[in-house]
Amino acid sequence: MRSKAVSAKRHNAFLLVNYSPPKYLHVRMSHNSARAPTARTEVLSDGLTLVVVSGDWTIQDTLPKISFKGDKVKVQADALGAFDSSLPAWLYVHFKNVRQCDLSALPPRLQSLVEMAEKATLSSDRPSPPGFFENFGSWGIESSHSWGRAFDHIGQTAVGFGRACIGRARVNWSDFTLQLQTAGVDALPIVALLGFLTGLIMAYVGLIQLRQLGASVYVANLVSLAMTREMGALMTGVIACGRMSTSFASQLGSMNVSQETDALRSLGINPVEYLAVPRILAVTLMVPLLAIFATFVGIFGGMIVACAGDLSIEQYLTQAILAIKFKSFLVGFIKSIAFGFIAAWAGCYRGSVAQRSALGVGDAATSAAVLGITLIVIADALFAVIFNLYDF
Amino acid sequence: MNDVAPILLCEDLVVGHAGQPVMSDINIRLPAGKIIAIVGPSGCGKSTLMRVLGGLDEPMSGRSELLGTDLVHATAIERESVLRRSGFLFQGAALFSSLTLRENVELPLREFLPIPSQEIAQLAEYKLALVGLADAMDKLPSEISGGMAKRAGIARALALDPAVMFLDEPSAGLDPVTSGKLDELILKIKESFGTTIILVSHEVPSILRVADFCVYLDSDTGRMGAYAPPKDFLSPEAHAKAHAFFTLARIS
Repeated sequence: MRSKAVSAKRHNAFLLVNYSPPKYLHVRMSHNSARAPTARTEVLSDGLTLVVVSGDWTIQDTLPKISFKGDKVKVQADALGAFDSSLPAWLYVHFKNVRQCDLSALPPRLQSLVEMAEKATLSSDRPSPPGFFENFGSWGIESSHSWGRAFDHIGQTAVGFGRACIGRARVNWSDFTLQLQTAGVDALPIVALLGFLTGLIMAYVGLIQLRQLGASVYVANLVSLAMTREMGALMTGVIACGRMSTSFASQLGSMNVSQETDALRSLGINPVEYLAVPRILAVTLMVPLLAIFATFVGIFGGMIVACAGDLSIEQYLTQAILAIKFKSFLVGFIKSIAFGFIAAWAGCYRGSVAQRSALGVGDAATSAAVLGITLIVIADALFAVIFNLYDF
Repeated sequence: MNDVAPILLCEDLVVGHAGQPVMSDINIRLPAGKIIAIVGPSGCGKSTLMRVLGGLDEPMSGRSELLGTDLVHATAIERESVLRRSGFLFQGAALFSSLTLRENVELPLREFLPIPSQEIAQLAEYKLALVGLADAMDKLPSEISGGMAKRAGIARALALDPAVMFLDEPSAGLDPVTSGKLDELILKIKESFGTTIILVSHEVPSILRVADFCVYLDSDTGRMGAYAPPKDFLSPEAHAKAHAFFTLARIS
């Protein structure tokens, strides 16, 4: 008797449903008598769990929670109103692991919506987040791989340069001229501004201290030596990291995403030779020139402050010329070549190992700048030690 | 067909790129719960038309209505409301690469539904299971094949139970078996959810299998060539170019 009654109601419910295209999203279903979705369970004498669903089920509603034991379930609809995918989703998730689940008493369309969902053969539970030691281990493994890839890339770059020197490398020379323009001429305004301000700040700080000792005139020595040996190259290297490393990492990372680097490989062209060599060469050539420019602009910036204070232009220039030796220029020049190479290499390396996703390209750009600046500072420290050892 | 309120209606529609008309004289009246295929030679403006019909781009002129809203004169809020009731599958699936498939499907649910996280997870799991990706829910888009990405794109488009779905070349680049399964899925979505589906496709066998109506875009004239059930295009009395397109594609 009971099953007949349920069956009759089931058919009525199905007519009511007729699954018209939903009109929701913050608009409740236009059922005047919308009832909350409910579900109740009942354990029958033969161990079968009977689950009865009723009411209106929409994806905007909070759905009922049920708990049951046993591996035999029969689901029935009783006064079931309108439903959308929330009901089949609820049925699927609750009964997907039940050994014997009888849905035959449900409206055919609902039954088909549940049966359409393919059962997972693997556990569909979210994987538990890795613990501290797992994370630490993964970090260690990834770091060792990362070092390996970095050395591999350095090696390939060196081979690429060697092959380019003997004219056997396939190098995109149109990229080279374009990067000369981008890394060199286009960077002049920002290098001029930062170089000028660096000289200005150094002169300002130096002047305050040296004035107390009555040695204001040595501010010219301070600024000119610092700019020539250190700050000109360092500032230009950092600017190259900000401009060129990130740019190269994004370019090469995007090419990774769109499989352009794979296309080059498939044509028998080494992407490092074709893409990285012209970029690294262009930046390595341009950064020393920019560093010299920054040095002169910085000395000029220092002159503005010094002359506004205690010194005349003649005094400042004479003192600066006396202070700067050819050796100092050479130190700055050698450093800037290295810094240019590091900035460009960091960008090309991080771009070439970028993950094939938007996030991967972003990460590559960030890590290229970080890697470039870190390596430049480390290299600067090493240069300081080496030049000191050789009294340079 | 004229008696039923259409879910998609366009009259004298002109669509184009950068101020240049690509296709004109588009007149479509599509009742709810049907599948319409937009076909035509490469570069004739199929995807452009689909984007206009879906409200992603503006038409150059003419009238375009979707879900009873005039998209040409709709306010931003009305347009957003229509877009929320629509689902899109783009050519490259356009999955968010930093999110797992489950998170891709959960994203619209989290944004628009005031329900607990557990229920959002349930809905996402079900939608992915519907497209046969129950085993790949926690994978990233970069870890799955093109066919799986298309299915995941459909699952995300289905997330909010859209009234209308736009599928841009769903079976392009897929093997015949996967393509056939995708056709079955599209038919099941239509039958079970009552969803109206607008799809752009080159695959004539697939169109014949799933579409109720077909729009042929004639790239030579820059006008809509024909609008009829796809089987009609197989008869010699049909629009000549559409007939040639269907028969040649069928033979190949």
